[in-house]
Amino acid sequence: MEIKTNDILQKYPVGKSENLIPILQDIQDVEGYLSEASVVEVGRHLQMPTGKIYGVATFYNQFRFKPLGKYHIQVCRGTACHVLGSATVLEEIEKELAVKSGNTTRDGMFSVEVVACIGACGLAPVVAINGNFHAKLTADKIKELIDNYRNQE
Amino acid sequence: MSKLVAIEIDGKKIEAPEGAVLLQVAKEHGFDIPSLCFHKRLSPTGACRLCVVKVEQMPGLVMSCAVNIKAGMRVTAYDEELQTNRRHTLAYLLAEHNEAYDNSYEDEMRPLLERYNLINPDQRPFGSLWENIPRVIDDSSPVLTYDSSKCIRCFRCIKACDEIQGKGVLSFADRGITKYISAGYGSWKNSECDGCGECIQLCPTGAIVEKPFRGLINVKEADNTTITTCPYCGVGCQMKVFVQDNTVMRIDGFDEVSPNYGRLCVKGRFGYQYANHEKRLTKPLIKKHGQFHEATWDEALDYAAQKLSDVKKKYGNMALAGLSSAKCSNEENYLFQKFIRLVFENNNVDYCTRLCHASTVTAMLKSFGDGAGSNSIEDFETTDCLLVTGNNIIETHPVTATFVKRGKAKGQKIILIDPKWTPLVNHADVWLQPKLATDVALLNGMIRVIIEQKWYDEDFINKRVEGGMEAFDALKKLTDKYTLPYTSEITGVNPQKIFDAARIYATAETAMIATGMGMSQQTVGTNNVFSLINMCLVTGQIGKERCGINPPRGQNNVQGATDVGASPKNYPGYIPIADEANRKRIAELWEVEFEKLHYKPGLTTIEIMNHAHEGGIKAMYIMGENPVITDPNQTHTIEALEKLDFLVVQDLFLTETAAYADVVFPAASLFEKEGTVVNSDRRVLRIRQAIQPPGQARQDWEITIELAKRMGADIGTYESPEDIFNEIALAAPIFGGITYDRINFQGIQWPCYDANHPGTSTLFLDKFNTPDGKAKIIPVDYKDQSEKPHSDFPLVLNSGRILYQYHSATLSRKSPLLNAYANNHYVIINPIDAKKFAIDDGDNVKITSPRGSLKTIARIRDEVLPGELFMPWHYSEAPVNILTRNEMDPMSKIAPFKYSVVKIERI
Repeated sequence: MEIKTNDILQKYPVGKSENLIPILQDIQDVEGYLSEASVVEVGRHLQMPTGKIYGVATFYNQFRFKPLGKYHIQVCRGTACHVLGSATVLEEIEKELAVKSGNTTRDGMFSVEVVACIGACGLAPVVAINGNFHAKLTADKIKELIDNYRNQE
Repeated sequence: MSKLVAIEIDGKKIEAPEGAVLLQVAKEHGFDIPSLCFHKRLSPTGACRLCVVKVEQMPGLVMSCAVNIKAGMRVTAYDEELQTNRRHTLAYLLAEHNEAYDNSYEDEMRPLLERYNLINPDQRPFGSLWENIPRVIDDSSPVLTYDSSKCIRCFRCIKACDEIQGKGVLSFADRGITKYISAGYGSWKNSECDGCGECIQLCPTGAIVEKPFRGLINVKEADNTTITTCPYCGVGCQMKVFVQDNTVMRIDGFDEVSPNYGRLCVKGRFGYQYANHEKRLTKPLIKKHGQFHEATWDEALDYAAQKLSDVKKKYGNMALAGLSSAKCSNEENYLFQKFIRLVFENNNVDYCTRLCHASTVTAMLKSFGDGAGSNSIEDFETTDCLLVTGNNIIETHPVTATFVKRGKAKGQKIILIDPKWTPLVNHADVWLQPKLATDVALLNGMIRVIIEQKWYDEDFINKRVEGGMEAFDALKKLTDKYTLPYTSEITGVNPQKIFDAARIYATAETAMIATGMGMSQQTVGTNNVFSLINMCLVTGQIGKERCGINPPRGQNNVQGATDVGASPKNYPGYIPIADEANRKRIAELWEVEFEKLHYKPGLTTIEIMNHAHEGGIKAMYIMGENPVITDPNQTHTIEALEKLDFLVVQDLFLTETAAYADVVFPAASLFEKEGTVVNSDRRVLRIRQAIQPPGQARQDWEITIELAKRMGADIGTYESPEDIFNEIALAAPIFGGITYDRINFQGIQWPCYDANHPGTSTLFLDKFNTPDGKAKIIPVDYKDQSEKPHSDFPLVLNSGRILYQYHSATLSRKSPLLNAYANNHYVIINPIDAKKFAIDDGDNVKITSPRGSLKTIARIRDEVLPGELFMPWHYSEAPVNILTRNEMDPMSKIAPFKYSVVKIERI
């Protein structure tokens, strides 16, 4: 993990804190989230206390502090999806996986994230699982979908 | 100070400094405008929005913390609109605030609620919603707890950590209504937080509170609060002690005065538990058949007096010696040296300064005529360049370091010379990492660069240096061979870095030096400091404000103890014993026969032990020192103590040294006595009694007088420590103008010759304290060590201190909080050596030197160079001084704690 962070940091000059957000984005792209070890490493590179980095990172919704699940479910809660019942879909996902959005199941299989609009209003209500869109969902359909992913294992 | 301009607040005409913060000025003139996020020690924030006022020609309501004073400003501090607005804002804050209050902290919110009639929930415009906001409680720190429900997001803690302490540990996490304070990656425990507690002291609403005594302390009803001086290091922080049931329950920094302006470090704030510790000695002890037995004061004093007198009779007066204490007050040290000189009738009195800055003081006395720091602690912030050498200033003098970090934030250049990584590396512009004990070569190399580049100050040398350019030429000749390649070869430091360091130091407008144990605790300690002084003198970086050399002192009164004469060579005020006129003067003051005062300078700390080992010293009186842990070559020290006919130890605890005593006197701690101490910048500061001593423990000065009496001697009759101090002021001209009244809260820096003298913040402004008023350049050459690593002992061991423990740890290790941070001994080894000796991180290792061996745990870090090891010396179960040698620097008699050859093996 640390080696990956280090590779990323090599691209940025030491002590230049203006690169903080791009660095964090790069790390999250590679590692899926910002681990404590990575944040400490970034702090060393940019000569910033860990707390200041954590403060910046937690300010933005885009950063995660827990590893993603093997299957990352993004539930769209944009207007169109909302009107067509995305609240029920989200509720069903949270019930089925026994996690709240923003979290990862204990077995590391699924993580759930609420997003504002993924630009697929025609497919509402929609979720994206690892980038694959699943359209016009209902409570029953999403349950089936999750089961399918489970069965793939 | 900016110029005063006239303004008007609510019709009242006020003169205020232009540019000052309006809110602060208003408060100072009695306008109690409400505010929560503002603190006079912080930059204004504008978060709470309570301090609104109206200023003519400024639209709307403006926050007075964000307005700077301008001439002719007309301000409305109170009217109905403002008060309504303030009440409304306060009610908003209150809605998100958990107002539960347990009396354990100073709540700044509650008085405002009372004032704005918001105490009763029925009168509040908004309901309470804090329970609906996710609550974050971080209880992971050893010293504090954070509760977001009590937090009003005022920024004070964050700014306290950033601006005051220069640590930058805290931040807001999350955003909007759910944001909260966090440290590190969301956990205080694993963060960089070092527990100084500045955030606790500045939190207005109890969101960050101390852990100790939380359920017990009632700040409103504390029995007393006492302003006193911190008992730990030599910064001399002024602090406010809260006492309940004769127990020290809390310590805050005392806001108003130098040298700390309210700041403390983790030891000062949380290291007080020793005072009320169950292991305190409460009764005198007499050893019979190898066992200690409790005794009455009469029995113990009579017995000690008898035995000491017997030794004196049998072996003569030179067979006695005493160790005074940097932990005791000036008054007690003064009486102790008076005791030695009048009762033992010799000058065998010394103390741990010999093991700390003896070499620095020796060199500075010789070159400048004064051995103390030339500047004030505040100057560490305002000087343009600071050269820190052999001084882990952030850990050993944490509050002085806050000034350094604040200076750095304003653009100060920092040069660090240290063989080991210290936290200051993160703040330094350049870090030179020389091999151990190569300092003279490094400094000579820097001096050569300075001369070659013509960065020296000829005018200064001509006017202020003895021999002028001739002396300079001698130095030039000697340093000529220290070319960059040659210097680099000896020291291992990159030539460019040597050049850069020389340039930054020499070309800075003002530059100060902080020199520590790394320089002084070597067999060439005095030479190290001579080289520093030489560099200082050729560049003229001394003799003006914010320039000079400063040895930050390790103990709270290590400066004062020597100042008041706990020295084998000098009477109080650095007056040489060897001079007959001085002896006559002191004899007259003490009302004794001139012949009674021995003419021969006495033995130094290590010499005393060596003589005890050889049989020359037969009895010792040790006040508040622990040489078994602090002296070099522990085996030798223990043998020496065992060989004594009689040993008296006076201490708070049954220390490792007291175990070898025949009589132990229980003494009072600093929290239990009145008196004065002198800090690193020569500031004479008051200590005041906050609690009663436990059991029958007595004041050190009372014990010394009593013992003298029973040995048939009169060393004076004193009503109080103040009486003693008045005598010190007569004995030592540098203290001549200082009285308890004058230093009630604000200390005075010596020299202060008379009642009208304001004290001296910077030394040597007009002249040096030498007979001709000029400083001496004393060229010194680099010398190889007599002890060198070889095949049997291939490594060199360096030793030093850490933030959380203090010296022999007699005091600091009584604090469970400090122990929670650092209670384990270790050795730091470079990864290359670890591989070579097949050692893994965390392995048990045995370290052996020609003197002895110990077991500890390995930590693999690149903080030390290959070939070198580092160990903190606080831990008696892994006593570093079993490895060190009692060889001495010939001039200052200091021992080389920083250089012992050793081998390391995994066990």
